[in-house]
This record gives sequence, structure tokens and C-alpha cells, in this order.
Amino acid sequence: MQEAELHDLSDDADYAASQLQGSASFFRSGSSKRSSSSESDGAEIVYSKDNVTIHPTQYASERISGRLRLIKQGSSLFMTWIPYKGQRSNPRLSEKDKSLYTIRAVPFTDVRSIRRHTPTLGWQYIIVVLSSGLAFPPLYFYNGGVREFLATIKQHAFLVRSADDANVFLVNDFQDPLQRTLSSLELPMAVSVANGPSTSVSDSEPPSNENQEKADGGNFDGRSATSQYNGRHRPKIHDPARDLSIQVLEKFSLVTKFARDTTSQLFRESHGDGFGSNDRRHHNQSPLDYPHKESSDEQKVPDEIPVPSDPLEKTRCRKQYHGEEAVTNVGTFELIDCKEFDKLALVWGKPRQPPLGSEEWATFLDSEGRIMDSKALRKRIFYGGIEHSLRKEVWTFLLGYHAYDSTSAEREYLVSIKKSEYETVKQQWQSISPEQAKKFTKFRERKGLIEKDVVRTDRSLSFYDGDDNSNVYLLRDILLTYSFYNFDLGYCQGMSDLLSPILFVMEDEAESFWCFVALMERLGPNFNRDQNGMHTQLFAISKLVELLDSPLHNYFKQNDCLNYFFCFRWVLIQFKREFEYEKTMKLWEVLWTHYLSEHLHLYVCVAILKRYRNKIMGEQMDFDTLLKFINELSGQIDLDATLRDAEALCICAGENGAASIPPGTPPSLPIDSGLLYPQQDDVL
Amino acid sequence: MASRRRMLLKVIILGDSGVGKTSLMNQYVNRKFSNQYKATIGADFLTKEVQFEDRLFTLQIWDTAGQERFQSLGVAFYRGADCCVLVYDVNVMKSFDNLNNWREEFLIQASPSDPENFPFVVLGNKIDVDGGNSRVVSEKKAKAWCASKGNIPYFETSAKEGFNVEAAFQCIAKNALKNEPEEEIYLPDTIDVAGGGRQQRSSGCEC
Repeated sequence: MQEAELHDLSDDADYAASQLQGSASFFRSGSSKRSSSSESDGAEIVYSKDNVTIHPTQYASERISGRLRLIKQGSSLFMTWIPYKGQRSNPRLSEKDKSLYTIRAVPFTDVRSIRRHTPTLGWQYIIVVLSSGLAFPPLYFYNGGVREFLATIKQHAFLVRSADDANVFLVNDFQDPLQRTLSSLELPMAVSVANGPSTSVSDSEPPSNENQEKADGGNFDGRSATSQYNGRHRPKIHDPARDLSIQVLEKFSLVTKFARDTTSQLFRESHGDGFGSNDRRHHNQSPLDYPHKESSDEQKVPDEIPVPSDPLEKTRCRKQYHGEEAVTNVGTFELIDCKEFDKLALVWGKPRQPPLGSEEWATFLDSEGRIMDSKALRKRIFYGGIEHSLRKEVWTFLLGYHAYDSTSAEREYLVSIKKSEYETVKQQWQSISPEQAKKFTKFRERKGLIEKDVVRTDRSLSFYDGDDNSNVYLLRDILLTYSFYNFDLGYCQGMSDLLSPILFVMEDEAESFWCFVALMERLGPNFNRDQNGMHTQLFAISKLVELLDSPLHNYFKQNDCLNYFFCFRWVLIQFKREFEYEKTMKLWEVLWTHYLSEHLHLYVCVAILKRYRNKIMGEQMDFDTLLKFINELSGQIDLDATLRDAEALCICAGENGAASIPPGTPPSLPIDSGLLYPQQDDVL
Repeated sequence: MASRRRMLLKVIILGDSGVGKTSLMNQYVNRKFSNQYKATIGADFLTKEVQFEDRLFTLQIWDTAGQERFQSLGVAFYRGADCCVLVYDVNVMKSFDNLNNWREEFLIQASPSDPENFPFVVLGNKIDVDGGNSRVVSEKKAKAWCASKGNIPYFETSAKEGFNVEAAFQCIAKNALKNEPEEEIYLPDTIDVAGGGRQQRSSGCEC
């Protein structure tokens, strides 16, 4: 049996795809106790199947069996898969490991599709793909029951067979049937691979009639799911886009072995912030969810599972955090985390790590205070952010105010020089007398605009609240000084949003100013009078969506939304209004690492849009509705999950993604050093 | 009278940064005022149902960023507008001087089919500030400008105190409706919306 299964997995392109997309969709359940109570909340169990099993590795001893259930609660249908307790066939498989895989009350509104596999040898299995485009690992039905499973879903939720692939069942599908298969595969369409489509993807087949089922749900009821089991063979369909996807899958399948070898490790490292899980918690508020438990998990897990992601760190981290068992896992991880397999490993979207702390920070510095390996540092911050107390020091590097290879002494000297330089610039406006100000309209107006904005910047934060708050005056002074330092650019709304966290972190006027200057070196074009920096970025987002989600792109095109103005606020102030303060700072330091891309923020935009793509398209949002919807997402977005999505998308897009972003797009430094901020009539 | 078409009336609020556009919109729609509004980035809108006799309309009120630098975005938001509200702060001369720029910019970007007769409404906001002592733009001056631009209706408002806001938006809604190309819309002389009788400071709504 194992041989057959190995064969199946290693050559199955879908499996490879699910592996590539899968791990991040795991979320962690602290214990399986939850499962038992989940049955008691007036929910009706409409389907229950024992011995549904996950194969985290190719080893039979590491399989995890559990019970798959469909639970109906009101009009909502949820799926759960709970591993059995106390089944310790293998000492390497702890209860904790098992609980990592637990599928806890996924509402079918979060499910995009279910792919069924019926290999001639071995067990039937299904792959559940979420709306986010990510998937759970294959669920093997040792006792059969796939057909019954699908039929039960059909009774309680909107399920329709894909017109393109008889083995794919779409849930909540509203899209043009032609686009379905690709969107469920979620692969970049523009990957350039040589031709040579494969037939190996599906061993079942599309009697053409059967594929006429439409998304309107009118005519699939009469058709029983059994008709799909007739075993006819699917002829090749020459849809170029589909062929391309297959090629990509095949390419991925070449490395399936590596994927498989590392799957278990990656899955083990996954924790509570799995894709979509937070959204579900916060929005659906299903009684099947357990927020109190959740929060303790979220706090606990990062301490338990840091991911040694850099070869240099590994030895230390192993001893520090992992038992012997983990050493093996880390070893496997190491294998994949280098050279050409680096990309593959990342496609999962690595789990977030705990923030960089001071002890670890010290290990990055040599005796004179130089940062020895800036790339390793940036990578570390990319995956975990920075502890707040350390931000003050580390942000100066990320922003480019201090050079990574500067010594502590050099930095100290620079700080003193810069302090007096700041005072000099500040003097320029401080020395303007009331008399002179009367004849200096531009100054008065600039000052007036800044004063209007600082009193409405983050005032709910204790750092800036109350009357006569000195920090508000500091914001004003720094912005006014900046508008003299860079007189051509001047002051523009949004700058106070960018400065606020910097001052909050630096707690020093001159230091904040120079950090802000460094940030504006990159983001200045966002505020340019011709708005060119903004237009370039919005254009780049549209190209990336075209590359990474062509159905969504087509939808935007048809609905006249290609200007992407609904992303304007996201881009202009780097999501400052979309997340709570702490999360904003975390996001910023991740973006500032420029670790995977200078333009990760654009992938973050795509990740958020993809997260809500089904809602956007399903509800047929027009431009106005979309703008409103996006504005109201503020405070609702799960940062860690979004970052993992963005990371995966960035890797997936690869060079094609980079090529979609025009040269000089902020925060890239401008390509020519000409006049950065051409003056126009604008008085401010 | 049955409504055939969408009965969405789109209103754009324009004016310098900090004159109170967001506050006016929120006062009208939510009857709330906050000192803690943030500067608007990009654009947003609120909707409110308004009733004329038997018919319900949705007033979609767009709030935009006030800084001139963001004007180039307007083209995406102004499209299809039925009425444009120009707001200035009676305590800031420059915000009044800029009304003309805002008006012209709107006409260029929205390019309405009949720019001569496109409905504008002007609001002089923040009349509550300092008991009116810091006021620099007189009502007379404002009305004169409105008259010179084709008798634009003019209201003096306080978004903070909710003064005259309802009356102003009634007029705005009425003008927006007038702009609707729908032929068989019946235009009543008065608008049946709650909270009337507060038009004392307005120059009226000569529709």
C-alpha cells in the first residue's frame, strides 16, 4: 500500500500544488478538547466519518487519523477534522504535532473548492482549497465516503462541479466557469515554461455533457454526485492557460520529494495564525470557535516554535529551542532552505517568528557595533519584526539613517552632527518673525496645514492625547522643519501619519527628523504634486493582480476598477490607517527590510484583495461599493496571515512579479537624480 | 409615483483641508460630531435615505481629501455627480478664496453635460468658532460670490453644533435631484424631510 501511495503522491501534480500552498492554511488548536465541546452547541452533525487521515510525511508511521465531520449550525455549514487522541504509533508524533493539523470549524463560506482524487491504487482523498487560495493537506478516506461527503455538502451549501475538471467541486462559486479551474489552482499565469501539456493531472474525465453544469445552481440538483465516478477518461483540453498551469504543476512536482520531506517540519512550525482562521474568529463569531482559548494559543506558540531560518543561526537555535527531535527537522529544513530550494520552501509562506529581542540582536553586532550580516538581520526581522524596546535602535538601520557597517562610535558621532544640523534647519523657520510671516504666505499656509493635521493625528494614543501635548508640538516642528529641508516637496497630508510612529519610537526630535528624512527619500514620490509615485504603484498593483489572479483582474477590468484608487490609502501611508498602531509598526519594519522585495507592500495589497476576492466578485461590487468595502476593512485585516500570503505571492510571482513593477516605483530610489519634486502652481 | 431608475443621488463635498467636510457629512448622516476625525486620505462616502413625498432616494455623499495635491484623483470620484458642495471655513480667508478653484477644478474633472447649470451649493462652516469673533469672511461677501456664479444657494453652518446642516443638505438633495436627467421625476416645491425650520441663516434654496 505504501508503495502505491508514494507513487501517487510524488507524481501527482495536484498534490504538489497543495503542498506548495498548504502549510500556511493550518492553524493550531491547543488541544482536541475543543472538538468535543464543539458538538454541544446546538449544532447538528450532518456527516461524520472515522479514519480520515493526513499523511504529513511519506512514512506510514507518521500518519494522523481522525474524524471528519460536517456540522450544520443555523444556515451555516462547517467542516471539522479532529485527530484522535492518544494514538501514539510513533514517538516522533506528539499530541502537539497532531493538534497542529486540526481543522477546527471551517465555515464553507471560507472554502473555495474541493478537489477529489480517486487513484486506482490507494485511498481516495480530497484537497480542500480555501478562499485565500491556500489548501489543507490531502485528507485520505480510509473507510471510503468521499461521495457521501460531497453529497452532504451539496445538501447544505452551494456546491457545483467545475466545468473544466470533473474532480473539482466549487463552493460558493460565482465566476465565469472558464476561469474556475485556474482560480482554484491559484498559480501565476504568466510563468514562461516550454510547451508540452500533460494529461496526468486528472485521471478522471469530463464527459462534455457533465461539464455543462452552470453556476446558477439550477440544474445540478438532479445530478447525483455518483455520476462522477464512472471512470471515463478525460480527453486533453487545450485551454492554453490551463496547460500552462499544468506545466507549472509539473515543474513543481519535480521537487515534490523535497516538499514532502519538509512538509512535516513546516507544518509543525505552523501555528495559530493560519490563513483565514483569524478572519473567521472575528467575523463569523461562530459558537464553534473558542476565542478565549485562541488568544492563549497565539501568545504561547511563538515562544515554542521559533523558526531558525538562517544557517548561521541554526546551531544556536537548535540547542536553545528545539529538542533532539526538532534537530532532525531543522536538518531537513536546512536542506531545502538553500540555493534553488530556497524559493520552494518560501512558497509556503513561513510561519511568523517572535520579534527580535535584545539578546539575539547583540549577536548580530561585532565588537565595534557593526552589523556583520545585514541580510541575515533583515531576514530575521522580515519573519518576526522587532521587540518594541529595540525598535529605537534598529529602525535607524532599516530606514537607512545609519549604515549597517558603521561602528557604534561612528554612529554616535553622526548623531551629534545631525542633531546640530537639524537645529540649523529648524532655525530657518523659527527665525521668521510675525512681521516676516505676514509677507510669507507660503510659510503661513504650510504651517497652518501642518497645525491642522497634527491635532488630528493619532490623538487617541496616550502618547499624543490631551490638550497641550508636547509630542503634538514635536510632530508640528519636525514636519515644518522637513518642509524647509525639502522645500520643493513641502508638506502633504499623510506625512503626519508616517511621522507619528517614528516619533513614538525614537522619542527624540532630531533623531525622528532624520529617520523621517530617510523614509521620505523612499516615499517622497507618494506625495509628489503630479501624484506620479502613487500612480506608478497603483499601476504596479494592477499588473500584479493580472499576474497573480487573472479572474479578479478581469473582474476589475469589466467593472471599471482598474485605476485601483481603492488602494490609494493603503499605499500612500503604508497601511497606517488599516492596522492598529502596534501592528502598523510591525508591518513597517517588515516592509523596510526589503528582504524579499522592495515592493512587498504591493504584494500585501494583492494578498488582501485575494483574501476578499470571492466576496468582491460574489457580491458584484462596483467601484463605489468596493471603495467603501476596502475603507471599512480598516482594523479587520489579519496582519500575520496577510504577510504570509504576501510572501507566498511574492515568491510565486518571481521575476514576472518584479517585471510587473516599473523601475523607480517607490520605495525604490528614483532612477534619475534630476529634479525630484517639480514645482507646479500648487502654493503649498 | 413609481421609481424606475436607480434613485441614487451622488453628491461631492469639496473644499480646503480642515474646513470641516468630514464633520459636515457625519453630522448630517450620523448626527454626530467628533474632534478626533483624521485627515481624509483618498476618498470615502456615506449614504443616507431621503424622502420626497412618496419616493425614497439614496443620497451618496462623497468626502474627499482637501489638499490640492490630491486633486488629480478627483476624476475617479467626481464622475456621475449630481451636485457639488463647496465648503469653506468662515474663519479662513484662503479657504474662501479657493472656492473658485474648487469649482473650476470640479467642472473640468467631472465634465458634466451642462456645466453652466450644474448645481453647486456653498457652505460657510465653523460659524460657532470663538463666538463668531474670529470670522474673516462676511456673509455678505460670500453671498455676493454665490450670486456671481449663477445664484449658488448659500448656507452658513456649524458641523460641531449641528446648526443649519440639515437644511443645507435638504437643499443639496433637492438640487441633486433637479440635476437627474430622469424626465418624469416630479419635483415638489418643498422637501419633506424632518428637522425643517432652521433656514434662518440661509439665502434659501431657489430651485
